[in-house]
Amino acid sequence: MAVVEIRVANHPYLTDPAGEEVLYEIKHALGIDAVQKVRTAKVYRFEGIDESAARLLAEKLLAEAVFQDYTINAPIIKDAPVVVEVAYKPGVMNPEAASLMKAARDLGIEGLVAADSSREYGFYGQDINSQHIDVILERLLVNATVERVVTEKPATLLISGRPGQTEIIPLRGMSDAELMELSRDRLFLNLEEMKTIQQYFRNIGRDPTDCEIETLAQTWSEHCGHKTFKARLLVEGRVKEPLLKRLQEATFAANHPLVLSAFVDNSGVMEFYDGWAICGKVETHNSPSAIEPYGGAMTGSGGVFRDVMGTGQGARVIASTDMFCFAPPDTPREEIPPGCLSPHYLLRRVVAGVRDYGNRMGIPTNNGSVHFHRDFRAKPSVIVGAYGMLPVERCRKGQPRPGDLAVVIGGRTGRDGIHGATFSSGEMTHRTTEVNASAVQIGHPIEEKRVADAILAASEAGLVRAITDCGAGGFSSALGEMGEKTGVRVWLERAPLKYQGLRPWEIWLSESQERMIIAVSPGNLERLLEICRGLNVEATVLAEFTSDRRLVVTYENEIVCDLDMEFLHHGLPKRVLPARWQQPALKEPQLPIPDALEDIYCRVMSHLNVCSKEPIVRMYDHGVQGSCSLAPYGGVEQDGPNDAVVLTPLLGSPAAVIISHGLNPVLNQIDPYYGSLWAATEAVSNAVAVGANPGELVLIDNFIWPFPDEESLGALDRAVDACVDFVRATGMPFISGKDSLSSTYRGKDGEVIKIPPVLCVSVFGRLPDVKRTISSDFKGTGNLIVLVGQRNLSEMAGSVYYDLYGYLGKNLPRIDLKTVTRVWKGIFRAIQEGKILACHDISEGGLAAALAEMCFGGGVGAELNVPAGERPDYFLFNETSGCFLLEMSPRENPGKVLAGLPHVVLGQTRDNPVIEIKQEGHHLCRIALSTLKRSWKEPMERIFGTPGEAREVG
Amino acid sequence: MKKPRVCILRTDGTNCDRETAYAFERAGGEPHLVHVNQLRAGEKKLTEYQILVIPGGFSYGDDVHSGKILAVELTSFLKEQLQEFVDRGKPVLGICNGFQVLVRTGLLPAARIGDIKTTLMHNNSGRFECRWVYLRVENTSCIFTRGLAGRLLHFQAAHGEGKFYTDSQNLSKIEEGRQVVFRYATSNGEPATVYPDNPNGSLNAIAGICDPSGRVLGLMPHPERFVDLVQHPNWRRQQFREPHGLPIFRNAVTFAQEM
Repeated sequence: MAVVEIRVANHPYLTDPAGEEVLYEIKHALGIDAVQKVRTAKVYRFEGIDESAARLLAEKLLAEAVFQDYTINAPIIKDAPVVVEVAYKPGVMNPEAASLMKAARDLGIEGLVAADSSREYGFYGQDINSQHIDVILERLLVNATVERVVTEKPATLLISGRPGQTEIIPLRGMSDAELMELSRDRLFLNLEEMKTIQQYFRNIGRDPTDCEIETLAQTWSEHCGHKTFKARLLVEGRVKEPLLKRLQEATFAANHPLVLSAFVDNSGVMEFYDGWAICGKVETHNSPSAIEPYGGAMTGSGGVFRDVMGTGQGARVIASTDMFCFAPPDTPREEIPPGCLSPHYLLRRVVAGVRDYGNRMGIPTNNGSVHFHRDFRAKPSVIVGAYGMLPVERCRKGQPRPGDLAVVIGGRTGRDGIHGATFSSGEMTHRTTEVNASAVQIGHPIEEKRVADAILAASEAGLVRAITDCGAGGFSSALGEMGEKTGVRVWLERAPLKYQGLRPWEIWLSESQERMIIAVSPGNLERLLEICRGLNVEATVLAEFTSDRRLVVTYENEIVCDLDMEFLHHGLPKRVLPARWQQPALKEPQLPIPDALEDIYCRVMSHLNVCSKEPIVRMYDHGVQGSCSLAPYGGVEQDGPNDAVVLTPLLGSPAAVIISHGLNPVLNQIDPYYGSLWAATEAVSNAVAVGANPGELVLIDNFIWPFPDEESLGALDRAVDACVDFVRATGMPFISGKDSLSSTYRGKDGEVIKIPPVLCVSVFGRLPDVKRTISSDFKGTGNLIVLVGQRNLSEMAGSVYYDLYGYLGKNLPRIDLKTVTRVWKGIFRAIQEGKILACHDISEGGLAAALAEMCFGGGVGAELNVPAGERPDYFLFNETSGCFLLEMSPRENPGKVLAGLPHVVLGQTRDNPVIEIKQEGHHLCRIALSTLKRSWKEPMERIFGTPGEAREVG
Repeated sequence: MKKPRVCILRTDGTNCDRETAYAFERAGGEPHLVHVNQLRAGEKKLTEYQILVIPGGFSYGDDVHSGKILAVELTSFLKEQLQEFVDRGKPVLGICNGFQVLVRTGLLPAARIGDIKTTLMHNNSGRFECRWVYLRVENTSCIFTRGLAGRLLHFQAAHGEGKFYTDSQNLSKIEEGRQVVFRYATSNGEPATVYPDNPNGSLNAIAGICDPSGRVLGLMPHPERFVDLVQHPNWRRQQFREPHGLPIFRNAVTFAQEM
């Protein structure tokens, strides 16, 4: 059947923001000046319809005559010297295709069998050469993992193929070398694990199918099996309990009264009010984001949302968070290792992915951060969190019963993301991009929104016995885990496919997004299917839970997998891993005390780890759901950053959810114990700064670590020790967590890049009355500025201040948990009593950065006195977490309000928009707020600058 | 007085339905979330409702154009019901994606389905943006803004395709017919010509328009996100007599009650 092409473009005399954005990037990111103008057009292709039907589609659907033109089977950009079309590769799902099919059907068009869309770029300029175009395509417009340049009209849009066969792998007879060859690039298992599998099949007297091998590799992957976290460690001759066990036991011992579910479900659950519970989960999506940042970030968001949706008997997602670590965006091209993408591109595309998924799902993204360090140049850390709300009576993980049916709902299964779980568990090499292209896909947030709506309806109707998402490992992981205690019988040929041609093991392992599995009793099946139909959600009975504790999968009556659940889930050899942390050889620098602080103040404010991230936040919808009652940015010009988000998710009720986080990778390079304490303290301090009750907060851990060799594992051991000590000292439990231990890059010339180890601690909690929360913007002039908390000013290592001089340092902040716990309680009480007008937590950039941000929010200046005898630069730029700046009315007595807490009154807010800092009457610094603000805003505005924004309307 | 029944129309990708329902509850209405499939199947009919709202979101992913796929669906299957609803003078409100849908059905600005005269293009910035903006309420016959003319309201805008555009002939028709209900404004109340006060590059700073009768209203910013004081980003430092979004919903409820 012929393919008809329709091209649509804006009238030539109108603006084309997409084209201008590309032009901006060409000029600013690529530095190519030969291109003067870029115009874009959409290309739509339809198979099975004639030209008159195409004309109807063009006029009724594709082109709006008010501002657009169209052509049929003819070019539309005719005057550009170079025109290039970029499309998704065949097999990569284009989310728009389904909408095209639907709208054509709604318009009464018959015979349409397939539709697709893509974009065409016209490049204008006399001096453009083919080299320019190659660079533009390669570095800006085409991610070869998922996209391609279209050079000729395709003959068909359909992907054809016959179902592949199941193969028997002659495993029993393989030598060690053959076993490892099989494992490499595909299974990512070590020799001992391969031999354990080999022995299992020798024992049962047959060779495995490809499906069985793949199922075992997925279940035993680091990503799904958390082998390192479950291994016992050998540290300095002493055997220590597994990391996971230590964290879980600390939580158990804390015995927090509000915790309803910890470490057992897809997210951790705590009690809220009025019969409601809140849950939270934070995930990483580093490996996919490194090779296709847009799709990787999207599927990261989609996955963590599904974790929340699949908690208890189904939850509603109420918030999303995002924490990223990249190399500095201006890292020179030649310093980026082969096979890796530039951080400028990664940052922009990851942000776009998080933006497009969260916004479209209608989930407010209102807490996050971005950190920069050179050693993220091979592999970024991309962390996304999600929080949800569910009734207490349906908040505990469900257990399917024999005879229950497993219904897959949502998206169809394709070849997407095959080997995602095993791939995420491997180290990244220069081969990664080539071999693992299928591990990435483009998310479809609208599909997931439909699924979310269906789950809520089914949950409210009481139809959900158990639910889980299809994440890493696809059906294999979801059904394997759900049926662990019962057994499950799967009819694989029933799975709805995106296209034909998948082998049975591919269907089984595919990580196609937006799929969930619901266990339902047979009597409730029809009602579940009806709910799904009403919401345009595809639902199919895929399996039945049995009582034989076996995983039996057939494909058209052929048995493709028959494994004992016991071996699958518990056959993995337990490891004892050696771990040895070595204190790095670091020195403290001897820095002179600067004469004038204005310049260094500006440089601190414009440091990438301090500067305003507002341009990113503005792209996220943080107001959807109507629940945001403390925005990421507030104050007179809406650019004063707040420390945490406060949500009132039950509209009309003052009950509030508070969410925040903390991380500081560079400190972990110095000492992961104190770096981790810092992160946890920072996370909680952010929440306390807005009014959270430290007694009603819970924690989530995310360890993103280099590949766990002996040294990195030693660092991890110390980080976990810190977490356990934190729980013991504060009583706050970790109730969910995730480890991702593969952030090492190995180049072919032997180059090894390890990321600075990341512990991201997320915090969430509850508060009965939103009115008793506060923001960071100064509320008036003549008010007192008070520093609360204990700092040892010589602990400057890892600070932005040191970094500006090119030093890391050795003496890092060592948080005293006893004091900080008292400080939190004191601040909470003072906020409850209404004694605090504004509060800001001190973190990167120190007291000086916190002060400036409070001034920005309030539109007021400040006068500050550095206490006599203190070194002024350290006083201003020390980054000890657990310290706060407060604004109090001069009528209050800080000595009374903050009795028993380390505190000092530093100065007052002033009408004059200037920050003035003195010591014993001597001027240290006098700087206009506007100057500081410019420094603080400039870095991200440069990266996210947009072509259209300065232009007048018209 | 009896609470008017409000149809909050949902479909795939609608995501501001709950808070819009809440806004109508606060204003004294009786909101119902109705899926477009229920209307298509005849399980529910528009005649059962006094007010119709198309809330914000990304209906069908905003594929092709924002709101387009839903507009085509409504025009194809619910044309008569919709036209009848409008012709009977019942209030219709489109917020954000709902505004885009109303424009793409032709219900705005001319109240005639299939007659598409204006459009909402991609923002000049080329991207989705979320920020609070000032809107000046113009002096019109719009029933949703009774008593608000001349007021400066503060709402959150959150969209990627909100640039109001039409040709000069239609623009003067809309202006002369006093169909411009909201204009993006500076904090002094002047029509905003530059970013970010005018967040998307809309012609004549147009943020919302109504049909000639004043009963069909569409706007890009989100009044439903400011019906409680704590929804405003600066409620801790600013005083408000009442949340700015509330009177808009209350006007609709009152109008429906008086019909």
